[in-house]
Amino acid sequence: MKRIEVKLAVPVVAPLLDVIRALGETPSVAAPGVIVPPDADPDLQGAWLGELVAAEATEVRALLALFDEVFFREGIVAFDAENAEMILRACAVLRLRLRESYLRAWGDDALESGDLQAGPFELGGQKAMACFLFLATVQELILQHLGDNILAN
Amino acid sequence: MSGGKTQVLPEEAQRVATVGRWRVVVLNDPVNLMSYVVLVFRKVLGFDELTARRKMLEVHEQGRSVVWMGLREKAEAYAFTLQQWHLSAVVEADEAY
Repeated sequence: MKRIEVKLAVPVVAPLLDVIRALGETPSVAAPGVIVPPDADPDLQGAWLGELVAAEATEVRALLALFDEVFFREGIVAFDAENAEMILRACAVLRLRLRESYLRAWGDDALESGDLQAGPFELGGQKAMACFLFLATVQELILQHLGDNILAN
Repeated sequence: MSGGKTQVLPEEAQRVATVGRWRVVVLNDPVNLMSYVVLVFRKVLGFDELTARRKMLEVHEQGRSVVWMGLREKAEAYAFTLQQWHLSAVVEADEAY
């Protein structure tokens, strides 16, 4: 099985995990943005949203599980065909939550272009922005090295 | 209110609801990476690389792209799966059909 190991700087990444944990405990922000067909059966609407929220929680737990004792001892996290899809999706939902919770002030154009240096820095904003970029980097690594595995699964 | 009986849709309306054409539309968001959206389109919709890139650029540049058309039930299933991948996907009736 293809596997990639990434060496991270623990002092840099550890503070970002607090942001991720806090985001993981906030109510889903994806759900309100989700547009269930308005005339859908109420049972379907409930099941639709419920499944999405449950899946998000599972994804975030999978991401946090990467940062275990080995990470804190050696700074290494590993991605493989087993966890790549889950981690990729966790990064996506956390980045969406970061936008909702911390990064609105930057504006969508700045977020989309990645030109975030000149943005406003309010309380928690810098850490949130670092987290936003870190999660994007994780996604890029997975897409580059394990994208084919995800497509093949 | 009529005596507790289940209301039955007129035959034509029922036919349109289930058989008529529905669109799955993906809306732009400023967060998801382009390469991520391409992968999701390939994975969920079975697009080849070129089609996936073209559709992703449509979303990026025009704000939305119709990625699938067909029966409502299947359209809802695709929209749900795209939402599981955290894309903004909606289902719309194709009025022209």
